[in-house]
Amino acid sequence: MIRSSAVSLALAYSILGFAALILFAFPLWYAWQGTIREGRAEILLADAQRLTDIYRRDGADALKTFIDARVQMQIAGERILLLTDSQLHPLAGNLAAWPKTVPAVTGDYHIQVDMGERGGIQAAFVHVAMLGRYNLLVGRDNRLFAPLEKRFWYGLTGAIAVLSIAGILIGVITRRALMSRVDSIRQTISAIIHGDLKHRLPTHLKDDELNTLSRTINGMLEQIELLVHGVRNVSNSIAHDLRTPLAELRSRLEELALIRPPAAETFQEIDGAVADVDRVIRIFDALLRLAEIDAGMRRSGFVPLDVADLAATAVEFYAPAAELKNIALTFHSDGPLAVSGDPVLLAQALSNLIDNALKFAPANGAIDVAVRRRGDGAGEIAVSDDGPGIADAEKAKVMERFYRGDASRGTPGVGLGLSLVQAVAKLHGYALELTDRDPGLRIVLSLAAQKMLS
Amino acid sequence: MKILLVEDNERVSQFVIKGLQEAGHTTDHAANGRDGMFLAASEPYDVIIMDRMLPGEIDGLAIVEVLRKTGKRTPILILSALSEVDDRIRGLRAGGDDYLTKPFAFGELLARLDALHRRAHGVNQEAPLTVGNLHMDPMTRKVNRGDRQIVLQPREFKLLEFLMRHADQVVTRTMLLENVWDYHFDPQTNVVDVHISKLRQKIDAEFDRPLLRTVRNAGYMVTAG
Repeated sequence: MIRSSAVSLALAYSILGFAALILFAFPLWYAWQGTIREGRAEILLADAQRLTDIYRRDGADALKTFIDARVQMQIAGERILLLTDSQLHPLAGNLAAWPKTVPAVTGDYHIQVDMGERGGIQAAFVHVAMLGRYNLLVGRDNRLFAPLEKRFWYGLTGAIAVLSIAGILIGVITRRALMSRVDSIRQTISAIIHGDLKHRLPTHLKDDELNTLSRTINGMLEQIELLVHGVRNVSNSIAHDLRTPLAELRSRLEELALIRPPAAETFQEIDGAVADVDRVIRIFDALLRLAEIDAGMRRSGFVPLDVADLAATAVEFYAPAAELKNIALTFHSDGPLAVSGDPVLLAQALSNLIDNALKFAPANGAIDVAVRRRGDGAGEIAVSDDGPGIADAEKAKVMERFYRGDASRGTPGVGLGLSLVQAVAKLHGYALELTDRDPGLRIVLSLAAQKMLS
Repeated sequence: MKILLVEDNERVSQFVIKGLQEAGHTTDHAANGRDGMFLAASEPYDVIIMDRMLPGEIDGLAIVEVLRKTGKRTPILILSALSEVDDRIRGLRAGGDDYLTKPFAFGELLARLDALHRRAHGVNQEAPLTVGNLHMDPMTRKVNRGDRQIVLQPREFKLLEFLMRHADQVVTRTMLLENVWDYHFDPQTNVVDVHISKLRQKIDAEFDRPLLRTVRNAGYMVTAG
């Protein structure tokens, strides 16, 4: 129980409460005690003063009579009065003898006195006045204040009890509530550990600490599921698409071993085999790069760069190839477009887009690459061609790894070009959009305004 | 050239040593980091081929770093199965001069070794280049063949300059991509070939002796021989 964070927190708060209560109660207690003592002393002094006045004005006999009357009159007997002669022999009052502990000197004393039938009075408070030949003792029973004191202590004890019970209750209740939520999180997570990545942690509308944590963990799970899914897809694709060239390679080599053709033919076949291996390596490299991008490992390589300059280089790079196919490859830009990104990946993505367009644009066709700053402050790179375009049903599929549309049959490539563009776009936080131009296709990479460097 | 090969894989080592021998180079071989470090520090080599991942405590990058710290300027080509761009940058930062990923074509390795060796022997960036009757002045950016002036686009100029700086050596497509366009990826289609044939049109078309040659399965070479 003590190890529970909720309980130890409640405990700490309770202790803090006790400390505050004690800090508050003790000065109060002392101030109160002081006030009472002073008040009492004043009353006694006033009493003694009045009795002295009677003695001065009317003499010792009048005082004796007054004292006796006073003693007779009082009901509770809280007042202590004693008049003695100089030898301390009692003359009047309700004390049998002068208390031994009180010296016959004017002053305030705190003593225990014997009141005869009423027994010993604890802590009576007396004042002694010297009247020449007489000694006067005026006192009061302190027990009158006892109920008040008792109430104070009861109050304090009660407050401490309430505080303790409330602390324990809050601790237990919070712990229960916390444990039930932690438990549901734990159950979900153990389901996930056992391989079911579809589960998500329960979240509420209320945005407390646990909920925020749950949301963050859910985001993480989303990403993990995506990655695992990606890995699964890639392994399936590898299994399928590497098998084909490997099978070709194998049969080529096996045939060589079986038939043992003349040297010239053998060397030709070996060259073909090396080309097969190169193809496998190329697919491998492309897949590894995709995996690398997906894992977000490349973000460390981000540097400030000009996208327009990258696009211009890519266009210039493909210009002779376009010329060869008699395709007009044009480039438009309205000045530098500074972003933070990976120059190698962005260059590769741009090159893939232009390469694709060149593959699909018809002879005498046109391809345009435009880098523009939009009105809303965002930027975009658009590659448009007038080729066959992509049917709506196919648009999502072309992003998939190894997918090759009908139009790409008979063209070189392994079906990873657009997957890479998409992965690069995702890594940079850019949106990738395919729209019809009728005829043709327009691929737009949008760079959100906040991603741009001014 | 006298070459040191630090590589633990026996098959790859034999393939490289045999190839280098056929190309007329002598090769010392170290199969682990300790021997590699000892040979590299004590013997004079023209080029060192360093595998990144080596058995034992000392890996390839550590050797490169130590050599550079002790003032050895021998050109080093780092060989690695790690292909990520970050690894390449790390290799070059450690003091490597070039980076080649496994698996590689032997032609690619040889071409890069030649280029490294030549680069190490202090080339004057501003001196005019001459191959046969083809002249290039990097300062004025003028190119002549015989007494005829050849007009080149900026990128064509850069392409020809790189080829001429490595005259009589094979230059691979990858080397051209990296050095002329700064492209560190494989652009699938053979766009480099198209650039070369355009350049060939300009410098060779009207002359009897072609200077820009295609080397089968390897790349290109500018040579007068």
